[in-house]
Amino acid sequence: MSLITRANIARTLLLGFFLLFTFVPLYWMFITSIKPSDDYLAVPPVWFPAEPTMLHYTAALFAYRGLDGLINSVIISAAATLLSTVLGTLMAYSLARFNTGGQHLSFWVLSQRFLPPIAIVLPIFLIYRAVGLHDTHFGLIIAYTVFTLPVTVWMMFAYFRQMPKSLEEAALVDGCTRWQSLWRVAIPLAMPGIVAAAVFAFIACWTEFFFALILTSQTAFTLPTVFRAFLGFQGAQYGEASALAMVSLVPSIILGILVQRHLVRGLTLGAVRG
Amino acid sequence: MSAPATRFDALSEWSDRHFKWLLVAPAVLLILALSVYPLLFSVWVLFVNYDFTVPGHGFVGLRNFTRVLADPVARWSLWVTILLSTINVTIEFLLGLALALAMVKSFRGRGLIMSLLIIPLFISPVIVGQAWALLLQRPFGPTNYVLSQILGFEVTIGWLTQAPWNFIALVLADVWQWTPFMFVILLAGLTAIPPNLYEAAELDGVDGWRAFWWITLPQLGPMIMLAITFRILDAVRLFDTIFVMTGGGPGTNTYSSSFYLYTLGFTQFHLSEATAGAWMFLVITAILITFLVRRLLKAEPT
Repeated sequence: MSLITRANIARTLLLGFFLLFTFVPLYWMFITSIKPSDDYLAVPPVWFPAEPTMLHYTAALFAYRGLDGLINSVIISAAATLLSTVLGTLMAYSLARFNTGGQHLSFWVLSQRFLPPIAIVLPIFLIYRAVGLHDTHFGLIIAYTVFTLPVTVWMMFAYFRQMPKSLEEAALVDGCTRWQSLWRVAIPLAMPGIVAAAVFAFIACWTEFFFALILTSQTAFTLPTVFRAFLGFQGAQYGEASALAMVSLVPSIILGILVQRHLVRGLTLGAVRG
Repeated sequence: MSAPATRFDALSEWSDRHFKWLLVAPAVLLILALSVYPLLFSVWVLFVNYDFTVPGHGFVGLRNFTRVLADPVARWSLWVTILLSTINVTIEFLLGLALALAMVKSFRGRGLIMSLLIIPLFISPVIVGQAWALLLQRPFGPTNYVLSQILGFEVTIGWLTQAPWNFIALVLADVWQWTPFMFVILLAGLTAIPPNLYEAAELDGVDGWRAFWWITLPQLGPMIMLAITFRILDAVRLFDTIFVMTGGGPGTNTYSSSFYLYTLGFTQFHLSEATAGAWMFLVITAILITFLVRRLLKAEPT
């Protein structure tokens, strides 16, 4: 009995400490985003501002072009997600049902996931500059499609493999073509997995920084790259930076929690079912 | 219906016959165009002058490699990468395991706590770096004030500008973001251990630490390998938090390999030298991948 209570106390302490650790930075950032600039340097620190303000939000969105970044992020993440989900699902279906290209093809796709981004992005930058794709929406969209494809393919590969193929075979017997059995039977059955894969691809694009930093500048820049304006000694735009952070993290957190049932599969590229 | 063998019929028959290849073709072509072709192109860049400060693309032999190899910052950044990823992954593993053990039995509010714990995984590393910078930065951040109150004397640590505190700050941000990764995977592993193993052990009088050591760890082994492998392969890319929190500073003190190559290519514009460095980094990573994935396949995760 005493052992059980001791274990309970240890568990409560650990979880309590870790939740505090998780939420202090988020809380401080949120408070900073609504805190009047005069309170920044107050000692003792202002833990909750007496007069919250939305000024930093409007400044971040308009004066620092946060809104443009937000719009670009929505367009680029959505388009890349769509492409990656469609192409990735088709490929995964072929790999799962016909073992296309054997193990080589599937492991080749997987290996793309582990290439260091700097090795890819340097030559892409040079090529994009030469062909006029640098700082274009299209350029970043196709780069993000390739960057998210390995995860999509492997998540969907695992999903199709655990799906019985008897219904697709029945459709073929009934006179459907291969395409019809894919379109009318397999895809609708796999929809929950497809949606989860799409959400993970979207979050990956939404939070990505390195590619966007190098492949865009004044036109197709995404939300994470706007933070460059707040770095270094260019002044103390703490409120603006925090406001922009809040705008960026709320949508991805909501999406992530919606698909948390599939999280283990997403993080391990389908290796673990969870 | 069947009488005229139209061109459409021939086409649809052809597409049905090559069905499996048509499905993989678009994705494969895109990867070829945006990953394989750039890598091949960069092989050419390795041996020529490709520098925005020097015009022309003349052949330079191995100069790009020798320059990077001779650069003490390159070696320092590799050391920083190894040091930080080792520390980060170790702490994340231990904390993640502790959390997974605390969460494996169901209790009231477990679902809610689960949702709260995974939140950092969905936030851009840039924002994570920003959040920790706000918390630590002198004089604005409240950290030094709180520490002063607790310790009873004035603390004036430059968390982002003074070694070794800048490294601790980077570790804090990384641990904050990626401990949930370990936790989620290890929890899935723990839940998959058949409970009858523990019941049988209890009948034999084995419990507590000994059960953990003799049942939990061996059963969890493959999952631990998987989680650590995946995490290491991402940890060595470390860039975003450094970019936001320390800017590599003071001086080149917190340069990681990715950050070093970025500055070499995009602030000094020695693009062919950066490419040579990137290839060396790629080879090191590939060796690491081969080594880790071999061991992973031996461990055979479920």
